[in-house]
Amino acid sequence: MNPKVKRLTELSVLTAVALIIFVVELQIPNPFPIPGIKLGLANIITVYAIYRYKPYEAAAITVVRLILGAVFAGNFAALIYSASGAALCLIGMLILRRFIDEKHIWISSVFGAILHNTGQMAAALIITQTPQLLAYYPFLLVSGCLAGAFTGLCAQIVISRLKKNK
Amino acid sequence: MKYKVMIIIIAVIFAAGAVGTFFALNSPARGTVRVISGGKVIETIDLISSDDRSFDVEYDGHKNTVEIRDHRVRVISADCPDQTCVRMGWLSSSSMPIVCLPHQLVIEYTESLDGIDAVTR
Repeated sequence: MNPKVKRLTELSVLTAVALIIFVVELQIPNPFPIPGIKLGLANIITVYAIYRYKPYEAAAITVVRLILGAVFAGNFAALIYSASGAALCLIGMLILRRFIDEKHIWISSVFGAILHNTGQMAAALIITQTPQLLAYYPFLLVSGCLAGAFTGLCAQIVISRLKKNK
Repeated sequence: MKYKVMIIIIAVIFAAGAVGTFFALNSPARGTVRVISGGKVIETIDLISSDDRSFDVEYDGHKNTVEIRDHRVRVISADCPDQTCVRMGWLSSSSMPIVCLPHQLVIEYTESLDGIDAVTR
């Protein structure tokens, strides 16, 4: 098979998987009614792609998933917040990937989550012009560390299992 | 070695977040609330003297319904998919406003009581 086509197919499948995880997660009621807090299971795919694919390929998966995710959730108003978070997270993790090996992906993922929450918060502050929102930042940090560690561990396990099977 | 440093950094951020969360949850308040839509204060309500009522806040074609009952305030309905502001319930903490990010709505106390005051009340 043409290697380009193979690559494109892999990326498409990854995007589809991320989207499915995203839609399934939408159905799980969030126990914390705080804006910006969620598990973010679809980020398992983002973390996986960052470690397994080229930077622009990981970025492409994330961008397509974000836009289609907003379509499926019917929540375009929230897209700007998640997009700013994702942008900061993606840039940060692509840099961290150079320093953090595949055995410590969860660390890189936690930093990614913290960056994601920071980007979200910055966008919310700029758009709503309401500094009081900062009161939520500590919440976001705590939940981001936990969610980031979890999604990072998942990605780490996926990568090590896939290697074993090769 | 470098991973140890990174884990310590994460631990510090996590601890700072936990401490901040604790303080944010423990700042009771009473009195006057502000309703802010799109960055502008559209209504200031003295909860102590206000009667029970509800009103709609519209922004950019979206609508939230705010209810005032028993000198408390909450959002009872919103036409957004995530319903976070509705599920946040009554406004209870001076440092944790009710927010609806998609509709740029914020409901917050204008002033806070410090911890000692709140206890002696």
